[in-house]
Amino acid sequence: MGRYFFRRFLYSLLTIWLIASVTFFMMHAIPGGPFTREKAIPDEILRVIEAKYNLDAPLYEQYFDYLKGLVTFDLGPSFQKVGTSVNDLIVAGFPNTAKVGFFAILAIIVIGVPVGIVSALKQNKPLDYIVMFGATLGVTIPSFVIATVYIYIFAGKLGWVPPFGLRNAVSYIGPMIALSGYSLSFVARLTRSSMLEILRADYIQTARANGLSEYSVIAKHAVKNAVIPVITYLGPTIAAIMTGSFVVERIFAIPGIGRYFVESVTNRDYTTIMAVTVLYATIYVFMVLLVDIAYALVDPRIRFEKEKA
Amino acid sequence: MDASKFVIIDKSTLIDTEPVRQSLTYWQDAWRRLKKHKPAIAGLIGVIFIILFGFAGPLLSSVSYSDQDVDFANLPPVLNLYQMDEDIYVFLTNDYKLIQVSRSGMVLEKYKRIEQDPVNKIYTYANAARDIEVVLDFSYNLLPGKMDSPYDYTLTYNNSVVTESTRRVLNKKYPFGSDIVGRNLLIRVMYGARISLTVAFVASLVNLFIGVFYGSISAYEGGRTDIIMMRIVDLLNSIPLILYVILIMVVFGNRGLWTMIIALGSVYWVVMARLVRGQVLSLKEQEFVLAARALGVSRNKIIRNHLIPNAIGPIIVSMTMMIPSAVFTESFISFIGLGVSAPMASWGTLANDALSGLLSYPYQLFFPSLAIAVTMLSFNMLGDGLRDALDPRLRKG
Amino acid sequence: MNNILLEVSNLRTSFYSHLGEIQAVRGASFQLEKGKVLGIVGESGSGKSVSALSVMGLIQEPGKVKEGSVINFLGRDLTSLSNKAMSKIRGNDISMIFQDPMTSLNPVYSIENQMVEVIQRHQTITKKAAKERAVEMLKLVGIPQPEKRIKNYPHQFSGGMRQRVMIATALSCNPQLLIADEPTTALDVTIQAQILELMKDLKTRISTSIIIITHDLGVIAEICDNIVVMYGGTIMETGTEQDIFYNPQNPYTVGLHQSIPKMNVDEKARLVPIKGSPPDLLHPPIGCPFAGRCPHAMQICLEEQPPTFSISENHTSACWLLHEDAPKVGDYITAEVVSE
Repeated sequence: MGRYFFRRFLYSLLTIWLIASVTFFMMHAIPGGPFTREKAIPDEILRVIEAKYNLDAPLYEQYFDYLKGLVTFDLGPSFQKVGTSVNDLIVAGFPNTAKVGFFAILAIIVIGVPVGIVSALKQNKPLDYIVMFGATLGVTIPSFVIATVYIYIFAGKLGWVPPFGLRNAVSYIGPMIALSGYSLSFVARLTRSSMLEILRADYIQTARANGLSEYSVIAKHAVKNAVIPVITYLGPTIAAIMTGSFVVERIFAIPGIGRYFVESVTNRDYTTIMAVTVLYATIYVFMVLLVDIAYALVDPRIRFEKEKA
Repeated sequence: MDASKFVIIDKSTLIDTEPVRQSLTYWQDAWRRLKKHKPAIAGLIGVIFIILFGFAGPLLSSVSYSDQDVDFANLPPVLNLYQMDEDIYVFLTNDYKLIQVSRSGMVLEKYKRIEQDPVNKIYTYANAARDIEVVLDFSYNLLPGKMDSPYDYTLTYNNSVVTESTRRVLNKKYPFGSDIVGRNLLIRVMYGARISLTVAFVASLVNLFIGVFYGSISAYEGGRTDIIMMRIVDLLNSIPLILYVILIMVVFGNRGLWTMIIALGSVYWVVMARLVRGQVLSLKEQEFVLAARALGVSRNKIIRNHLIPNAIGPIIVSMTMMIPSAVFTESFISFIGLGVSAPMASWGTLANDALSGLLSYPYQLFFPSLAIAVTMLSFNMLGDGLRDALDPRLRKG
Repeated sequence: MNNILLEVSNLRTSFYSHLGEIQAVRGASFQLEKGKVLGIVGESGSGKSVSALSVMGLIQEPGKVKEGSVINFLGRDLTSLSNKAMSKIRGNDISMIFQDPMTSLNPVYSIENQMVEVIQRHQTITKKAAKERAVEMLKLVGIPQPEKRIKNYPHQFSGGMRQRVMIATALSCNPQLLIADEPTTALDVTIQAQILELMKDLKTRISTSIIIITHDLGVIAEICDNIVVMYGGTIMETGTEQDIFYNPQNPYTVGLHQSIPKMNVDEKARLVPIKGSPPDLLHPPIGCPFAGRCPHAMQICLEEQPPTFSISENHTSACWLLHEDAPKVGDYITAEVVSE
């Protein structure tokens, strides 16, 4: 196991390096460069700016500087927010993004999985229909719609919650719902269908034939098998939460890195774009690694397969 | 006992009661099964409706997606009218514009503000012909002396005072309302359907071709080639792909339809490649293929009768599922301001445009969102049904 | 009569699908004496597995054991027990093993975990004692290095070994009755022989009574004391092993014999398949379920279900050919009606 995960870890580092490189070269492939404006900047000024940000150096030099910066966590100055470093932005924004994202993932697991299980146990009963109706709606409505409708109703019409920012505990609810809505519905559906399949499995009949209590049959023997596909879906869930943070932070005006990313994309703030892309990719790659570990812990077949490999 | 009943009967006189099932081709059977799946049919109808809405809808109207009339900006789909005279109805906007509307809901004319008294909050309006003059007093509940009034406005015409809207009509000119510069939202949502569906469909097709090509080569070649090709797919899969869609949009700079298609099409084929590889690999090994070969069935027949029906089902299903997720992704990217640029607007762009005026004009967000949700729901239901119908392993009865 | 462990009478089990009522078992009666081995033979869809699941109380929605069925186990009618009460009996007094050992063990728990859970469910003993008991059972069923192997997960065992684990688990609480539903069908032929050998061996070493369900007469040839032949949800013939193998009194049993290959007969003898297919249990036939495929079918066979004729003390057959008015075909003898 240990060796497998060490190798997986190295593989993750390789992935991150590749992502960082691709991002770098993509950003430098943009015709014109970061300071090209519709209104032409005088050549002398442009040269001064480029010299300031080291953009006149040969590409390979810039590339190695950039890699060095990534390794030493020095992500350089923001091109657009004068006097701010990208590090500052990330330090300021990351906790907010992480908090909301964490609560969203928690909600997805703590609500989505049990709801799916209960729905499967009550298959074709009213409760099941209600849950599946809700879950189907959940996967058809984009997060930005959930967020805006939420603000319209609860902040605008009813005035129960502040329309933006993360001022108090209540203000987390909206971003959490908007971020987790899609994945929560998806997880509920996935858990339900997985659970229905497992309940028909031979070993469930064996467990019953061995006289185990219905509680043990469901809670111990069925659930652990049913959550295996849900675990494999956690990787995409994390990706969905991250991209969701782009719009949700914008709508709720949360000062997080998702919002900075969107701003940097519209402002063409290349250092910020690169840094946030690499940051997101890094988080994602390591989350997927964690998911893989969890997967192997739950499913012994995977565990032994990995050991052999 | 009747002894005659104890005579052994000649079996050849008995009709063979074993039921003979009508033999159906793969597609006949799939269609038969799809028809039984009610949500799938609802989904199919939804899909057809959305396509007609987007591609045939604009043809029925002489209005273009870019026609604007600032006079009629931000008009909601439902109008609360004040009756001034027997057949003079007016609508008062949030920003105190007065618009004459016909009894049936046709938007007619914006009245000109000819006098205004902001201190006492009294405006006077007149139509172009100057034969109608309306005085609006909106000081109620605003000025200290006029608090706790049961109404907010009075409209005075020919000395008769109207304080309440007495008629609710659907907006005939702008059924979905109008946007901030007075463009027809219905037409905009129709064109949005064109943009969103075209992007989604073409991008999914691109994905399909790259995926089928890549996946089948990987599976056919096998060995080292397969390992290397799949490693690349693994690597791409370990990246949050949307980041790359966004980066591609940034790199290309121009926000055209094709940029979006290239961005979506160049990234999401990974999923399809995996699926196709898995299909080809497993089918190659299946006994029924071996059995057919052993029986001397020709290669073409094996491909036509065995491989295609077994591989095409999952491919079609995942294609059906890919389209809505492309719509989703496209709307998402448009929403953060990277989508197809104005004046051609996708649903995501429309939703984004509506964001600033959300609290005053929620309908501007509602209709594009509804369009997205209906599309998602229809394609998903159709996809679910197709999965059941096209998967021969589930074939029964 | 005190010697009777299990007595099933007039068992009727149906499944209610959207197509209608599927009558899987239509009035089956049989009994099992203590310490004996009973074989239930029949092709797929004959109702043999459903009968066993009915005894276990494991018929799940939308299935139901119908009113009037009696499953008498040591003086208690199991059909009247709640699911909770039944779960105390399952695995403790009556155990069951299934056809496919590859899928019958939970893949995510170790053998130890699964066996200890069953033992502790039915006996109040410590975890350590339960584990000792599990190891002892694994040894009994012939698993090498049981102390070590008990830590393993199902996927680390071969099919035959998994079936041994299933048997060990089933026997771990000293049940009075073990029901084995096609215990060898999913296994390789050599492994099949080993498992049968094991069951024969266990039969002599433990006091558990056994019901073996199979579609393969060869499987139960040497191991069973009594055999029940089922078809179309009804019982066609019951008798001792000798009766069924050497003196079959039902055309269906004869058909079964003719359709299995034999080693020591004339080389020119061909296998005779039973033509046609089993009856549709959604619309079960009014008469004898086998009439449509029977070479000796008479008019009455299509019109009325045959009563059970008694041939000797333990030998019964439900076939109109045994009626005194029936023509004589082959070695059939006429017999008196024991139930109408």
